[in-house]
Amino acid sequence: MHPKEIQVGIDVGGTFTDAVLLEENMILEKAKVATQADNVLGTVLQALEVLKIYRKRVTRITVSTTLITNAILQNNLSQVDLLLFPGSGMTLNSLTWPVPYQEMKGELDYRGREISPPDELEWRRLLNRYQELPESKVAIVGKFSHRNNLHEHDLALFLRKHCPNLELSLGHEWGQTSFYRRSLTTYLNLACAEIYQAFAEQLQQAVAQKGCSAQIHVLKADGGILPFQKLRPIESIYSGPAASVLGGLAQSDPGQSFVVVDIGGTTTDIGLILSGEPLMSIHGAKIGAFSTLVRTLAVRSIPAGGDSTLLLDDDDFKLAPYRLGPAYCLGGPAPTPTDAMCYLNLISYGDRAKAELGLTQLLPEEKRDPLHLHQLSENILIRLADRIAQAVESLNQEWHEEPAYKVWEVLHPHDHKNFFIWLSGGGASGLAKALSARLLTSVKIGDYPEVSNAIGAALARPTFSCTLHLDTFMKRYRIEETGQQGEWSGSRKPHKEVEGFLQEIAGKIANDQGIELKETQTQPFDFFPVVKGYQTVGQIIRGSLIVPPGVRGRLKP
Amino acid sequence: MKRSGIVFFPAFDWSLGDTHPEREERLLYTQEQFFEEGVMELPQVKQYAPGLASMHEVLRTQALFPSSKQHDLAAHLIAAGSAIVLGDAWAQHEIQNGFALVRPPGHHSGATVLGNRGFCTLNNEAILINHLRTKYAIQKIAVVDTDVHHGDGTQDIFNHDPNVLFISLHQDGRTLYPGSGFTHEKGGPNAWDTTLNIPLPPGTGDEGIHYVLEDWILPRLRDFKPDLVINSAGQDNHFTDPLASMNVTAQGYGKITELIQPDLAVLEGGYSIETALPYVNLAIFLALAGEDYSQVKEPQKPQRPLLNFQELKRYIKELKVNNKQANPQWTIREEKTLPSGKWAYIPHSIYYDTEGIQEIRQDRVRICDQCGGTVLIESQNASTGDKFALIRIPFNACTGCRQAGEDLWEDFKGRKTSVLLQNQFQDLIRFWDIHEGVRNL
Repeated sequence: MHPKEIQVGIDVGGTFTDAVLLEENMILEKAKVATQADNVLGTVLQALEVLKIYRKRVTRITVSTTLITNAILQNNLSQVDLLLFPGSGMTLNSLTWPVPYQEMKGELDYRGREISPPDELEWRRLLNRYQELPESKVAIVGKFSHRNNLHEHDLALFLRKHCPNLELSLGHEWGQTSFYRRSLTTYLNLACAEIYQAFAEQLQQAVAQKGCSAQIHVLKADGGILPFQKLRPIESIYSGPAASVLGGLAQSDPGQSFVVVDIGGTTTDIGLILSGEPLMSIHGAKIGAFSTLVRTLAVRSIPAGGDSTLLLDDDDFKLAPYRLGPAYCLGGPAPTPTDAMCYLNLISYGDRAKAELGLTQLLPEEKRDPLHLHQLSENILIRLADRIAQAVESLNQEWHEEPAYKVWEVLHPHDHKNFFIWLSGGGASGLAKALSARLLTSVKIGDYPEVSNAIGAALARPTFSCTLHLDTFMKRYRIEETGQQGEWSGSRKPHKEVEGFLQEIAGKIANDQGIELKETQTQPFDFFPVVKGYQTVGQIIRGSLIVPPGVRGRLKP
Repeated sequence: MKRSGIVFFPAFDWSLGDTHPEREERLLYTQEQFFEEGVMELPQVKQYAPGLASMHEVLRTQALFPSSKQHDLAAHLIAAGSAIVLGDAWAQHEIQNGFALVRPPGHHSGATVLGNRGFCTLNNEAILINHLRTKYAIQKIAVVDTDVHHGDGTQDIFNHDPNVLFISLHQDGRTLYPGSGFTHEKGGPNAWDTTLNIPLPPGTGDEGIHYVLEDWILPRLRDFKPDLVINSAGQDNHFTDPLASMNVTAQGYGKITELIQPDLAVLEGGYSIETALPYVNLAIFLALAGEDYSQVKEPQKPQRPLLNFQELKRYIKELKVNNKQANPQWTIREEKTLPSGKWAYIPHSIYYDTEGIQEIRQDRVRICDQCGGTVLIESQNASTGDKFALIRIPFNACTGCRQAGEDLWEDFKGRKTSVLLQNQFQDLIRFWDIHEGVRNL
């Protein structure tokens, strides 16, 4: 008999932190503690205490945290220098750069061929700076470096030789095609490394000190998990919405299509599940002013939730995009949608008399009667439901308007699906009716809407993706996800052997990341014959092997 | 900065043959360049998903013989459908301009289609134009075809249409496929002078092309006052093109785009897929989006000698004279078998290079001073002997021409292998063939 799987999931949200302790996918303990915005570690440890995890032999702890998201949004980042090889083409300032950069000479083309070499004099001038600041963090990113890391690599070698204490990060390790996003991703990942390292190590130590040997995992924006040592810090952004989506997945039957709506105190997260698989965004995550290459689920986060402040707006009300505190009915300072739910008896908590008092502030004196209060409360929920519905529609549109680059894809469009709504979060029961009416579809709520995200985190499984770009004429291959580049010694027109090649590389990467490859999907390979003078001289081949986001089994009642 | 739309449809799973210029690889490097530069990330740019044109939209503009089923259309329908997606976005004011960066191309495909010619089976721009006229009642349209080859298909489709100004500048047909596009080709009797062909000598270069645009084309556009300007944006004027020799650079293309200011650009030919396309496409789209394209530089420099600019100016002057003095190329006949009125008769033939088909055409248009005139095109496949007819009742057709078209339809259906009635006035398409009789499409 194998030892029992005991899993802990923690979701650090903007207002509250939810946590669950599961044994063989059954809930043993739940916890909900207030998030201390400036002390994520303390919050997590407190949640672990409440769960009484130290009495069990916990096998895995999965944390979904806003640590890095907040560090970026509050600009609480380390200083990083960004050195770019932009070459020619679109001018850099056509796009908005949220951080300063320095341009270097040297250019590659789209197949990684060198157009012009770097300028060593320019490099030597850099040394003046780094000999004075020998422990600087430096991100080096070249246009088309994902096709050839030559210039990045050589500059790094040069700098390391003269300034061995520099902390360097190279762009080609983010191997998708987008110089702009690659630059910002490399920059951000280096800039938030320190704060992430400190958190992860302290958490591991604190847990270990209590005699718990559980492996600590971190939830990523794409809904996958990785041991915290293997994770690139920036990949932990937007794990909250991912946790919501996985929470919905873990509590519903396999193969269904639905919209996950998680109504928190400050924000509402929305995601889409298609026949049991969360929809991935075709773009990388965008955070603050930064567009990144971080793989993410297609989600929407809107700044409206159960505790959003309601303001008087002439003879109407307005849903403010912030939270001043708990709802009025729970002793807070201002009326909120939660007060409307309380007044309408849609939720079982809160002081209805206080809710009435809070809501009254939004009515002119002559209208402060039960009829108008009732009307107002319904309107508040209709307004909130409408905001959410718009985000649902925008997500649906993103899915339908995905670009297609092949004839086959256009001829086989997405099937129409009948979605239901999966509601979770504190305000779930209060908003069910209004949302169902607005979206004209049924709404389901699980047994544990208040800890749904934590359930999602606890049951998340690793995702995996290994995308090969092989140019047999140039005799080079690259792996998008890791930035690995190497020589291709196989045939110029390979067929079956490419699949084996990809599998071998994927196996190594998975092993390195501590992931056991199960339920892999191989995307059909694209073959581009490379022709010169009416002769096929090689092929460019693209293909990938993935494990999509998902859960380890369903939550058991 | 301009709100610009783009449909990028590289048809990565489609080719006309393994080593054919129109193959999977053609836009691969353009994709690399666009994605790496972050073109789709520009705040004013919106990328649209490709569309699929319906048979109705195709047949409103082109007659496919023996019938549409005999043609392999999937990729072509997507290229045309993608142009329509952008056209809709433009007409609904979502974007100020757009670029349909799609393959396969279309400008050699004409009013009748017996097969693929010059890599084209469906005419993307023409289908787009007639879609916009039908759906949004857009009246006057100008097409500027900057592909190095004469846009003979587009010219054929709008030859009798006074509301479409077709301008093609290209390398002289005496030195390049398809061997047409001379100054005397100025449109049919009801649409005289709404076709302008400017055949240019090899080696014209950036300066020369810009001169032709500023000196001749832009004034014509201003006089015509179009509601919509479409650019058939072929890229084979580039100095690295393997077949043509016009010596234009990527930045030269950017300037061309800036001068024409098209509402919609649609990719046509251009097969220098490594040394031209990534750069030319980039320059064109940056120019559309109102961004700086002065740093778009192809790795090579133009090497072939440029034509002397003064010499070119003299040449253009001569062309203008030839154009002015050109005589009509049709004969007016009383035709006893045709409905009442005078009919211009224009016999010619069309060669389909891809499939080796020779088409013999007898075009007739009803002389009319109130509308574009009903068109009758009798077509014959010279090798099979199959005969077809296209009857077109134009947009804005007058009562007489409408009646003439209906009469022709009644008369012709049942007589040939297949017959198409293109009633653009009412947006009705009727098709007859021996196997299935009359169908509304």
